[in-house]
Amino acid sequence: MSEKRRIGISEYATGISPEVLITYGLGSCLGILLYDGQQRLGGLAHTLLPAPRPGQTEARPGKFVTSAIELMLTELLARGAERPRLTAKIFGGATMFEGFGNDAEGIGVRNTRAARETLAGLGIPLHSEDVGGHHGRTVEFDLATGIVQVRSVRGGDIVTHFDLTV
Amino acid sequence: MNFDRLSASQLDALREISNIGMGHAATALSQLTGDRVELRVPRVTITEISAVPELLGGAEQVVVGVTLRILGDARGNILLIFPLESARQLLTRLLGAAAVKDEFDEVAISTLKEVGNILASAYLNALGSLLHLTMIPSIPLLAHDMAGAVVDAVLIELSQEGDLALTVETEFCGEVPGHEVIRGHFFLLPDAASLQVVFGAIGGVA
Repeated sequence: MSEKRRIGISEYATGISPEVLITYGLGSCLGILLYDGQQRLGGLAHTLLPAPRPGQTEARPGKFVTSAIELMLTELLARGAERPRLTAKIFGGATMFEGFGNDAEGIGVRNTRAARETLAGLGIPLHSEDVGGHHGRTVEFDLATGIVQVRSVRGGDIVTHFDLTV
Repeated sequence: MNFDRLSASQLDALREISNIGMGHAATALSQLTGDRVELRVPRVTITEISAVPELLGGAEQVVVGVTLRILGDARGNILLIFPLESARQLLTRLLGAAAVKDEFDEVAISTLKEVGNILASAYLNALGSLLHLTMIPSIPLLAHDMAGAVVDAVLIELSQEGDLALTVETEFCGEVPGHEVIRGHFFLLPDAASLQVVFGAIGGVA
Protein backbone atom coordinates (compact mmCIF):
# COMPACT_ATOMS: atom_id res chain seq x y z
CA MET A 1 0.00 0.00 0.00
CA SER A 2 1.34 3.38 -0.95
CA GLU A 3 1.57 6.43 1.28
CA LYS A 4 -1.74 8.19 1.74
CA ARG A 5 -1.91 11.55 0.07
CA ARG A 6 -3.49 14.14 2.30
CA ILE A 7 -5.84 16.76 0.90
CA GLY A 8 -6.14 19.83 3.15
CA ILE A 9 -8.87 22.44 3.37
CA SER A 10 -9.32 24.29 0.04
CA GLU A 11 -7.18 21.72 -1.78
CA TYR A 12 -7.85 19.09 -4.39
CA ALA A 13 -5.77 16.42 -6.05
CA THR A 14 -6.07 13.78 -8.73
CA GLY A 15 -4.25 10.47 -8.69
CA ILE A 16 -4.04 6.97 -10.10
CA SER A 17 -3.91 3.45 -8.61
CA PRO A 18 -2.29 2.51 -6.21
CA GLU A 19 -2.54 5.95 -4.65
CA VAL A 20 -4.79 6.56 -1.65
CA LEU A 21 -6.29 10.01 -1.19
CA ILE A 22 -7.48 11.10 2.24
CA THR A 23 -9.06 14.19 3.75
CA TYR A 24 -9.68 14.67 7.48
CA GLY A 25 -12.42 16.29 9.48
CA LEU A 26 -15.01 17.46 6.96
CA GLY A 27 -17.63 19.47 8.84
CA SER A 28 -19.80 21.73 6.73
CA CYS A 29 -17.04 21.46 4.14
CA LEU A 30 -17.81 19.11 1.28
CA GLY A 31 -15.57 16.29 0.08
CA ILE A 32 -16.05 15.63 -3.63
CA LEU A 33 -14.80 12.44 -5.31
CA LEU A 34 -14.59 11.76 -9.05
CA TYR A 35 -13.51 8.38 -10.43
CA ASP A 36 -12.91 6.54 -13.68
CA GLY A 37 -13.08 2.92 -12.54
CA GLN A 38 -11.51 1.42 -15.66
CA GLN A 39 -8.45 3.64 -15.61
CA ARG A 40 -8.39 3.67 -11.78
CA LEU A 41 -8.03 7.42 -12.01
CA GLY A 42 -9.70 9.66 -9.50
CA GLY A 43 -9.77 12.95 -7.67
CA LEU A 44 -10.67 14.25 -4.23
CA ALA A 45 -11.44 17.84 -3.21
CA HIS A 46 -12.04 19.42 0.24
CA THR A 47 -14.19 22.47 -0.51
CA LEU A 48 -15.36 25.22 1.85
CA LEU A 49 -17.87 27.27 -0.09
CA PRO A 50 -20.30 26.78 -2.97
CA ALA A 51 -18.92 29.23 -5.56
CA PRO A 52 -16.74 32.32 -5.91
CA ARG A 53 -18.54 35.63 -5.90
CA PRO A 54 -19.37 36.89 -9.39
CA GLY A 55 -16.42 38.72 -10.92
CA GLN A 56 -14.07 37.56 -8.19
CA THR A 57 -10.82 35.96 -9.28
CA GLU A 58 -9.72 33.37 -6.84
CA ALA A 59 -6.22 32.53 -5.78
CA ARG A 60 -7.46 29.21 -4.48
CA PRO A 61 -10.02 27.62 -6.78
CA GLY A 62 -9.97 24.43 -4.67
CA LYS A 63 -11.90 26.37 -2.04
CA PHE A 64 -15.10 26.29 -4.09
CA VAL A 65 -17.35 23.40 -5.02
CA THR A 66 -17.92 24.61 -8.58
CA SER A 67 -14.33 25.37 -9.51
CA ALA A 68 -12.87 22.32 -7.74
CA ILE A 69 -15.15 20.00 -9.72
CA GLU A 70 -14.27 21.68 -13.01
CA LEU A 71 -10.54 21.61 -12.29
CA MET A 72 -10.55 17.97 -11.22
CA LEU A 73 -12.51 17.09 -14.35
CA THR A 74 -10.01 18.88 -16.61
CA GLU A 75 -7.07 17.22 -14.86
CA LEU A 76 -8.62 13.75 -14.99
CA LEU A 77 -9.41 14.08 -18.72
CA ALA A 78 -5.84 15.25 -19.36
CA ARG A 79 -4.57 12.16 -17.54
CA GLY A 80 -6.59 9.85 -19.75
CA ALA A 81 -9.94 9.48 -18.02
CA GLU A 82 -12.96 8.96 -20.28
CA ARG A 83 -15.71 11.39 -19.54
CA PRO A 84 -18.63 8.97 -19.94
CA ARG A 85 -17.03 6.66 -17.38
CA LEU A 86 -16.68 9.30 -14.67
CA THR A 87 -18.91 9.06 -11.63
CA ALA A 88 -18.99 11.06 -8.41
CA LYS A 89 -19.60 10.75 -4.68
CA ILE A 90 -19.95 13.51 -2.11
CA PHE A 91 -19.51 13.50 1.67
CA GLY A 92 -19.76 16.12 4.40
CA GLY A 93 -21.92 19.22 4.25
CA ALA A 94 -22.96 18.84 7.89
CA THR A 95 -24.32 21.49 10.23
CA MET A 96 -21.84 21.27 13.09
CA PHE A 97 -23.37 23.91 15.34
CA GLU A 98 -27.13 23.74 15.33
CA GLY A 99 -28.54 27.20 14.80
CA PHE A 100 -25.26 28.65 13.51
CA GLY A 101 -25.53 31.69 11.27
CA ASN A 102 -28.60 33.69 10.48
CA ASP A 103 -29.51 31.87 7.31
CA ALA A 104 -32.27 29.36 7.51
CA GLU A 105 -30.08 27.28 5.21
CA GLY A 106 -26.62 26.41 6.44
CA ILE A 107 -23.45 26.49 4.41
CA GLY A 108 -23.26 22.68 4.41
CA VAL A 109 -26.62 22.44 2.68
CA ARG A 110 -25.60 25.08 0.13
CA ASN A 111 -22.33 23.28 -0.59
CA THR A 112 -24.22 20.05 -1.16
CA ARG A 113 -26.71 21.65 -3.51
CA ALA A 114 -23.94 23.38 -5.48
CA ALA A 115 -22.20 20.02 -5.96
CA ARG A 116 -25.37 18.25 -7.14
CA GLU A 117 -26.13 21.06 -9.59
CA THR A 118 -22.58 21.33 -10.95
CA LEU A 119 -22.28 17.55 -11.43
CA ALA A 120 -25.69 17.39 -13.11
CA GLY A 121 -24.71 20.26 -15.40
CA LEU A 122 -21.56 18.40 -16.45
CA GLY A 123 -23.45 15.13 -16.91
CA ILE A 124 -21.45 13.29 -14.23
CA PRO A 125 -23.67 10.81 -12.36
CA LEU A 126 -23.67 11.18 -8.59
CA HIS A 127 -23.61 7.59 -7.37
CA SER A 128 -23.74 8.00 -3.65
CA GLU A 129 -23.57 10.55 -0.95
CA ASP A 130 -23.51 10.77 2.80
CA VAL A 131 -24.20 14.38 3.56
CA GLY A 132 -25.84 16.57 6.18
CA GLY A 133 -26.43 15.68 9.79
CA HIS A 134 -24.44 17.14 12.65
CA HIS A 135 -21.21 15.14 12.57
CA GLY A 136 -17.78 15.42 11.02
CA ARG A 137 -16.37 12.94 8.50
CA THR A 138 -12.96 11.73 7.35
CA VAL A 139 -12.88 10.30 3.83
CA GLU A 140 -10.31 7.83 2.53
CA PHE A 141 -10.37 6.99 -1.18
CA ASP A 142 -8.41 3.97 -2.44
CA LEU A 143 -7.86 4.50 -6.15
CA ALA A 144 -6.76 0.87 -6.72
CA THR A 145 -10.08 -0.61 -5.59
CA GLY A 146 -12.52 2.28 -5.78
CA ILE A 147 -13.33 1.69 -2.12
CA VAL A 148 -14.26 4.76 -0.08
CA GLN A 149 -14.21 4.67 3.71
CA VAL A 150 -16.06 7.36 5.60
CA ARG A 151 -15.12 7.53 9.26
CA SER A 152 -16.84 9.61 11.88
CA VAL A 153 -16.64 9.98 15.62
CA ARG A 154 -20.33 10.38 16.16
CA GLY A 155 -22.22 9.26 13.08
CA GLY A 156 -20.94 5.71 12.51
CA ASP A 157 -18.64 4.53 9.72
CA ILE A 158 -19.58 3.83 6.12
CA VAL A 159 -17.80 1.86 3.41
CA THR A 160 -18.92 2.39 -0.15
CA HIS A 161 -17.26 1.67 -3.47
CA PHE A 162 -17.21 2.94 -7.00
CA ASP A 163 -18.23 0.57 -9.78
CA LEU A 164 -15.07 -0.54 -11.61
CA THR A 165 -16.83 -1.75 -14.74
CA VAL A 166 -18.68 1.38 -15.82
CA MET B 1 -8.43 45.79 6.39
CA ASN B 2 -6.16 42.99 5.29
CA PHE B 3 -4.77 40.71 7.93
CA ASP B 4 -1.43 40.46 6.16
CA ARG B 5 -0.87 44.22 6.37
CA LEU B 6 -0.95 44.48 10.15
CA SER B 7 2.13 45.98 11.76
CA ALA B 8 4.06 44.54 14.67
CA SER B 9 2.75 47.25 17.00
CA GLN B 10 -0.84 46.50 16.00
CA LEU B 11 -0.29 42.84 16.78
CA ASP B 12 1.29 43.82 20.12
CA ALA B 13 -1.72 45.96 20.97
CA LEU B 14 -4.06 43.07 20.18
CA ARG B 15 -1.97 40.74 22.31
CA GLU B 16 -2.07 43.17 25.24
CA ILE B 17 -5.81 43.81 25.22
CA SER B 18 -6.42 40.09 24.81
CA ASN B 19 -4.16 39.36 27.74
CA ILE B 20 -6.29 41.60 29.91
CA GLY B 21 -9.52 40.16 28.55
CA MET B 22 -8.34 36.60 29.05
CA GLY B 23 -7.24 37.45 32.58
CA HIS B 24 -10.84 38.29 33.40
CA ALA B 25 -12.05 35.11 31.71
CA ALA B 26 -9.56 33.02 33.69
CA THR B 27 -10.69 34.62 36.94
CA ALA B 28 -14.26 33.72 36.05
CA LEU B 29 -13.27 30.13 35.34
CA SER B 30 -11.31 29.97 38.56
CA GLN B 31 -14.32 31.15 40.56
CA LEU B 32 -16.51 28.65 38.76
CA THR B 33 -14.32 25.63 39.46
CA GLY B 34 -12.71 26.77 42.70
CA ASP B 35 -9.31 25.95 41.18
CA ARG B 36 -6.33 28.07 40.41
CA VAL B 37 -6.34 28.79 36.67
CA GLU B 38 -3.16 29.60 34.85
CA LEU B 39 -3.03 31.47 31.64
CA ARG B 40 -0.45 31.60 28.90
CA VAL B 41 0.34 34.93 27.29
CA PRO B 42 -1.83 35.00 24.19
CA ARG B 43 -0.35 34.29 20.81
CA VAL B 44 -1.53 36.55 18.06
CA THR B 45 -0.99 34.89 14.74
CA ILE B 46 -2.08 35.33 11.20
CA THR B 47 -2.47 31.86 9.81
CA GLU B 48 -3.79 30.12 6.79
CA ILE B 49 -7.36 29.11 7.55
CA SER B 50 -6.43 25.61 6.46
CA ALA B 51 -3.73 25.39 9.15
CA VAL B 52 -6.00 26.10 12.12
CA PRO B 53 -6.94 22.45 12.84
CA GLU B 54 -3.22 21.71 13.27
CA LEU B 55 -3.06 24.22 16.14
CA LEU B 56 -5.50 21.95 17.96
CA GLY B 57 -3.50 18.78 17.57
CA GLY B 58 -4.77 17.61 14.19
CA ALA B 59 -8.04 17.52 12.31
CA GLU B 60 -9.15 14.16 13.76
CA GLN B 61 -8.56 15.00 17.40
CA VAL B 62 -11.89 14.78 19.23
CA VAL B 63 -12.76 18.06 20.91
CA VAL B 64 -15.66 20.00 22.35
CA GLY B 65 -16.11 23.38 20.71
CA VAL B 66 -18.27 26.22 21.97
CA THR B 67 -18.71 29.16 19.65
CA LEU B 68 -20.31 32.55 20.13
CA ARG B 69 -20.81 35.28 17.61
CA ILE B 70 -19.66 38.73 18.76
CA LEU B 71 -22.28 41.37 18.05
CA GLY B 72 -22.20 45.11 18.53
CA ASP B 73 -19.58 47.70 17.57
CA ALA B 74 -17.05 45.11 16.51
CA ARG B 75 -17.93 41.71 15.13
CA GLY B 76 -16.33 38.35 14.96
CA ASN B 77 -16.41 34.93 16.53
CA ILE B 78 -15.13 33.42 19.71
CA LEU B 79 -14.27 29.77 19.65
CA LEU B 80 -13.44 27.79 22.75
CA ILE B 81 -11.96 24.37 22.26
CA PHE B 82 -11.58 21.78 24.98
CA PRO B 83 -9.89 18.46 24.34
CA LEU B 84 -12.45 15.74 25.16
CA GLU B 85 -10.70 14.70 28.39
CA SER B 86 -10.52 18.28 29.63
CA ALA B 87 -14.22 18.80 28.92
CA ARG B 88 -14.96 15.72 31.04
CA GLN B 89 -12.70 16.97 33.82
CA LEU B 90 -14.38 20.33 33.76
CA LEU B 91 -17.79 18.69 34.02
CA THR B 92 -16.57 16.50 36.86
CA ARG B 93 -15.40 19.58 38.75
CA LEU B 94 -18.68 21.39 38.17
CA LEU B 95 -21.27 18.61 38.39
CA GLY B 96 -19.55 15.81 40.27
CA ALA B 97 -18.19 12.56 38.85
CA ALA B 98 -21.55 10.76 39.00
CA ALA B 99 -23.12 13.23 36.59
CA VAL B 100 -20.56 12.73 33.83
CA LYS B 101 -21.52 9.94 31.45
CA ASP B 102 -19.79 8.61 28.36
CA GLU B 103 -22.12 10.45 26.04
CA PHE B 104 -22.77 14.08 26.96
CA ASP B 105 -26.36 14.56 28.04
CA GLU B 106 -28.49 17.68 28.03
CA VAL B 107 -27.12 18.86 31.39
CA ALA B 108 -23.50 18.35 30.33
CA ILE B 109 -24.03 20.20 27.06
CA SER B 110 -25.75 23.16 28.64
CA THR B 111 -23.10 23.30 31.38
CA LEU B 112 -20.31 23.47 28.79
CA LYS B 113 -22.22 26.11 26.82
CA GLU B 114 -22.62 28.11 30.00
CA VAL B 115 -18.88 27.89 30.69
CA GLY B 116 -18.32 29.23 27.18
CA ASN B 117 -20.80 32.00 27.82
CA ILE B 118 -19.13 33.03 31.09
CA LEU B 119 -15.63 33.02 29.60
CA ALA B 120 -16.67 34.91 26.50
CA SER B 121 -18.68 37.48 28.45
CA ALA B 122 -15.81 38.11 30.89
CA TYR B 123 -13.46 38.56 27.96
CA LEU B 124 -15.75 40.84 25.97
CA ASN B 125 -16.66 42.94 29.02
CA ALA B 126 -13.00 43.59 29.75
CA LEU B 127 -12.29 44.40 26.12
CA GLY B 128 -15.38 46.57 25.83
CA SER B 129 -14.67 48.71 28.87
CA LEU B 130 -11.02 49.04 27.85
CA LEU B 131 -11.86 50.17 24.33
CA HIS B 132 -15.22 51.84 24.99
CA LEU B 133 -16.89 49.51 22.55
CA THR B 134 -20.06 47.53 22.98
CA MET B 135 -19.49 43.87 22.29
CA ILE B 136 -22.18 41.36 23.14
CA PRO B 137 -21.89 37.60 22.83
CA SER B 138 -24.65 35.71 21.03
CA ILE B 139 -26.07 32.56 22.57
CA PRO B 140 -23.42 29.83 22.69
CA LEU B 141 -23.50 26.89 20.30
CA LEU B 142 -21.76 23.61 20.95
CA ALA B 143 -20.29 20.86 18.81
CA HIS B 144 -18.51 17.75 19.99
CA ASP B 145 -16.58 16.13 17.18
CA MET B 146 -13.33 16.04 15.18
CA ALA B 147 -11.38 19.30 15.51
CA GLY B 148 -11.32 19.83 11.74
CA ALA B 149 -15.07 19.58 11.48
CA VAL B 150 -15.71 21.77 14.52
CA VAL B 151 -13.51 24.64 13.35
CA ASP B 152 -14.53 24.62 9.71
CA ALA B 153 -18.04 25.80 10.50
CA VAL B 154 -16.61 28.86 12.22
CA LEU B 155 -13.85 29.51 9.69
CA ILE B 156 -16.10 29.26 6.67
CA GLU B 157 -17.52 32.66 7.43
CA LEU B 158 -14.04 34.17 7.42
CA SER B 159 -13.06 32.30 4.31
CA GLN B 160 -15.55 34.27 2.24
CA GLU B 161 -13.28 37.28 2.74
CA GLY B 162 -9.91 35.66 2.26
CA ASP B 163 -7.66 32.75 3.08
CA LEU B 164 -6.15 34.09 6.29
CA ALA B 165 -7.44 34.13 9.84
CA LEU B 166 -6.25 36.38 12.61
CA THR B 167 -6.29 34.23 15.70
CA VAL B 168 -5.73 35.39 19.21
CA GLU B 169 -5.13 32.12 20.96
CA THR B 170 -4.38 31.27 24.51
CA GLU B 171 -4.24 28.15 26.56
CA PHE B 172 -5.59 28.10 30.05
CA CYS B 173 -5.07 25.37 32.47
CA GLY B 174 -6.64 24.63 35.81
CA GLU B 175 -4.55 22.59 38.15
CA VAL B 176 -5.45 21.02 41.43
CA PRO B 177 -3.18 18.52 43.11
CA GLY B 178 -4.66 15.08 42.56
CA HIS B 179 -6.79 16.19 39.62
CA GLU B 180 -6.18 16.02 35.92
CA VAL B 181 -5.19 19.26 34.29
CA ILE B 182 -7.96 21.04 32.42
CA ARG B 183 -6.78 22.62 29.20
CA GLY B 184 -8.56 24.79 26.72
CA HIS B 185 -7.90 26.97 23.71
CA PHE B 186 -9.54 30.32 23.34
CA PHE B 187 -9.71 31.80 19.85
CA LEU B 188 -10.80 35.28 18.93
CA LEU B 189 -11.55 35.50 15.24
CA PRO B 190 -12.40 39.10 14.38
CA ASP B 191 -14.08 39.92 11.10
CA ALA B 192 -11.64 41.77 8.85
CA ALA B 193 -13.80 44.92 8.77
CA SER B 194 -14.12 45.03 12.56
CA LEU B 195 -10.36 45.12 13.12
CA GLN B 196 -10.37 48.69 11.88
CA VAL B 197 -12.90 49.54 14.58
CA VAL B 198 -10.77 47.89 17.25
CA PHE B 199 -7.60 49.69 16.19
CA GLY B 200 -9.49 52.96 15.98
CA ALA B 201 -10.57 52.42 19.59
CA ILE B 202 -7.05 51.52 20.74
CA GLY B 203 -6.10 54.82 19.18
CA GLY B 204 -3.29 55.75 16.86
CA VAL B 205 -1.59 52.39 16.65
CA ALA B 206 -0.05 52.27 13.21
